[in-house]
Amino acid sequence: MGPWGYVSLAYGIVWGVIVVYWFVLKRRYRAAETELNRLRSSEAAVSHDKN
Amino acid sequence: MAQSTNAIRKRKGILGGLAIVAIVTGLGWSLLVAPPDAYQGEVQRIMYLHLPSILTAYLSYFLVFIGSGMYLWKREKKDDLLAHAAAELGVLFTALTIIEGSIWGKPTWGVWWTWDARLTLTAILLLIYAGYLMLRSSIDDEQRAASAAAILGIIGFLDIPLIHMSVYWWRTLHQPPSILRPDKAPWENVHPAMLTALAISFVGFLLLYFYLLSLRYRVGEMRQEIKALRLERGV
Repeated sequence: MGPWGYVSLAYGIVWGVIVVYWFVLKRRYRAAETELNRLRSSEAAVSHDKN
Repeated sequence: MAQSTNAIRKRKGILGGLAIVAIVTGLGWSLLVAPPDAYQGEVQRIMYLHLPSILTAYLSYFLVFIGSGMYLWKREKKDDLLAHAAAELGVLFTALTIIEGSIWGKPTWGVWWTWDARLTLTAILLLIYAGYLMLRSSIDDEQRAASAAAILGIIGFLDIPLIHMSVYWWRTLHQPPSILRPDKAPWENVHPAMLTALAISFVGFLLLYFYLLSLRYRVGEMRQEIKALRLERGV
């Protein structure tokens, strides 16, 4: 492998890993947000029924 | 509530946008503008990733150290959430540093890995904080897990001064620092175009880091809220 091959490999791996981590983190964020909204709305419905 | 959520989202969006601009500018400067190194040639361009990665990892472990210390002192959940989020990102950036160093080492030293003091201590740093994350998930009692992890988070941070001083204290293959050296200012030692590439890349990594940290912290915060709501209802 030539010098630019090593440079491309390093830049490719680093930015590839960071993009994958960002996607996974976004998915975790959305999953938590959806679950939280679901729990909050069902809680609001329960307190509305009580009133 | 919805307004504050929108404001947080907007701030995250601005931070993410700034990070992308700085990263793209840093990439252009590192690969197209900065000259090749007189001895190492083009392979030296990997340093524009390597140095910002390890400095970002150090910053992350410093936040683990602060968050852990604050948690042990005040027992506030927000400090533990910060330490946990920063530890995960610290592991990511340390792993990237080792990978970049390995790819740079092959054409420069002739090996992918060597048991040099600085490399070994950096690998130990990665293992300590990977252990920190495993420890947290292996203890069911949340408060006990947070306390045990906080102690490990503080002890682990002591490895960083050892890593920095290792090139002075032992005969190492890893060269001494070019930027953070006591006898010369960075601009006396490094070509201005190289220093600019390094500075822009570092700013890009920092902005990206704080963007990812804000996302990861919020994930932890939301999980806490979910747990509390479930407990309230006995689910």
